[in-house]
Amino acid sequence: MQRVLQSMRDGVGFDALLVILTLSYLLIFAGLPLIYNVIISFQNVDVFSLGTLLHPSAGIENYEDIFDDRQAGMVLWNTVIFTLGSVALQFTLGFALALFFHQNFMGATWIRGLFLAAWVMPGLVVGVLWNWLLSGDFGVVNYALENLGLIDAPIFWRSDPDTSLYAVLIANVWYGTPFNMILLAVGLSQIPEDLYEAAELDGANAFQRFWTITLPMMRATIGAVIALGIIFTLQQFDLFAAITQGGPAGSSTVAQYWSWQLSFREFDFGRGAVISVLMILVVLVVSLIYVRSTKAETQL
Amino acid sequence: MKRIIGPSVLALTLSMSGAWAQGVTLTLWTESATAPEGVFAQEFSEMDNGITIDVREIRFDDLVTDTLRAVATGTNPDLIAIDNPDHAAFASRGAFLDITDRVAASDVIEIDRVFPGPRSSLTWEDRIYGIPRASNTIALYYNKDLFRAAGLDPDSPPQTWDQLLEAARMLNDPANDVYGLAFSARASEEGTFQFLPWAQMAGGSFDSINAEGVADALSLWKTFLDEGLASPDTLTRGQWDSTGTFNGGNAAMVISGPWELGRMASDAQFDWGVTLLPVKEEGGERASALGDFNLAVFANTENPEAAFAFLEYFWSQADRIWPEFTRMPAIEGVALAPTGDARIDAAAEVFAEQLAYARNRGPHPEWPRISQNIQDAFQSVLTGQAEPQEALDRAAEEIAEIVN
Repeated sequence: MQRVLQSMRDGVGFDALLVILTLSYLLIFAGLPLIYNVIISFQNVDVFSLGTLLHPSAGIENYEDIFDDRQAGMVLWNTVIFTLGSVALQFTLGFALALFFHQNFMGATWIRGLFLAAWVMPGLVVGVLWNWLLSGDFGVVNYALENLGLIDAPIFWRSDPDTSLYAVLIANVWYGTPFNMILLAVGLSQIPEDLYEAAELDGANAFQRFWTITLPMMRATIGAVIALGIIFTLQQFDLFAAITQGGPAGSSTVAQYWSWQLSFREFDFGRGAVISVLMILVVLVVSLIYVRSTKAETQL
Repeated sequence: MKRIIGPSVLALTLSMSGAWAQGVTLTLWTESATAPEGVFAQEFSEMDNGITIDVREIRFDDLVTDTLRAVATGTNPDLIAIDNPDHAAFASRGAFLDITDRVAASDVIEIDRVFPGPRSSLTWEDRIYGIPRASNTIALYYNKDLFRAAGLDPDSPPQTWDQLLEAARMLNDPANDVYGLAFSARASEEGTFQFLPWAQMAGGSFDSINAEGVADALSLWKTFLDEGLASPDTLTRGQWDSTGTFNGGNAAMVISGPWELGRMASDAQFDWGVTLLPVKEEGGERASALGDFNLAVFANTENPEAAFAFLEYFWSQADRIWPEFTRMPAIEGVALAPTGDARIDAAAEVFAEQLAYARNRGPHPEWPRISQNIQDAFQSVLTGQAEPQEALDRAAEEIAEIVN
């Protein structure tokens, strides 16, 4: 007994305790819901059986229904465009801003902090804001574009099936860029200054310094930022709810919004769960990349 | 605020004061605390009857979703005001309290006075699961000043679809940011609410959405959008925002309901009027949507008597629904008291007549899915992804699967 207590205080027992605590937390709050989600994707679940533990089995019917659905192809394509487009633009703009503020001009840190204001806003608020900005008849975006002579007639961002997805994408890029910028700025500040000085002495120009020092040194951070970007973008829901509701005619529906529509608009929780399961698989792969890149980071 | 308390209510209040001396707290979910149920709940709480009602506002778009989640987890309120097409989903599954016997025994509520439409929305298998809050329907508002400016007679607004289209073309004035017509074809229950009357005037219904003629209704809608007579944002904008553009002078006509009257009377800086929804051809069948909410008690409430007492109080205030909230009473024999605004009083007559043609959505426990298919149909046509008949046939097929 004494020995057990002793090992609890300092030793293997204490380590084990910590591991057990973390693992059981993960199991209860992340593992069980995940498993439950997989289970109901094989069941018929509606609202009034949602509260009960056992549901009639549906076999793989839910999966077949989803893949046979008229919308499936479009939703998949929309999700791919939305995710890749958002991540690419957020990353590029975020990196550009991070490099810009890395010049350490007067007030740089201050202004960089202000950029975070966009990121700390709730998604629904951002959505409502962009809903106004992008509105067809009286939107500020159209007003600006028309006055700059870029367009002749207003673009109905939200209501034209050709642009509705991009309306949300633009809002999402604006929303996610500051977060990318901050993470990348942290990465930049960790690169030792003397590397640049040495390169400069050797006659490397700015582009060469960026290409041979900044990028390689930032590899771990970039991997992490992109992985997190993909995960966050796949979670983006509020902007769709506020700007297009997945419409018109489903033209801006992405996987996460479709899953919600199936579950909470049509009350078919089984099919809603199918989409979540498929998305979990994608996120799992991305998470592996993320874990690997953070591992590389700690080894540096 | 005028407070009319009839003798029956006084008696009710007196009889209740003893019963809940301990103090009972009920919760009520509603889309708006300023709607009748919110205001009446506040008054009811202030009475000396030992009952307090906590009112919680939930956005209209989230009301069903949040309530479903709450029912599934047993965290639902005692009372709710719910959109009438959603009522059946809860009633049919036993989530709402069957108040048939209480109603029969009540001295206040006379359920036979409820109009057939609202009555059927709160009835499931011949049992009563609530009382109506009000009724509403949609009609055509028009800007009389713009009518005059366009050379149209403000005293003979369009009565048929052709006349409506013609008027919209004449009123449309892109140079001055004026659209001919505003309505809502949004992919939500609001869109279904606005589209079904057109389908019904053409001879269709929710369970025969591909009936001959409905395609004409959809083609008419498409014409409004294709010719730029209505804003492309019609596809994503709700009725409240669409009517906002009318009030602002940016649309010459709008299709909406009596709930707009109060705001319009104060916001619109022009002369306006209301007329019945135009019919397909002269002498054609009339139809309109039957809207508004029902009040229901949840089956698992711990205080069904107290909750029912609130329904009785609500019922007793029926004659205030029109003058204070510009909502139409759902109960026969309640006069629309003059409001003091001539335009609103003129509109009252139109809406009262229009309400006679209003039809229910459902009732069907799977209404949200039926509605979804109707929305898919008109949205795919309006965005040019499908032909009217093709889209309606597909919707009809899916709806038939749900209904049967």
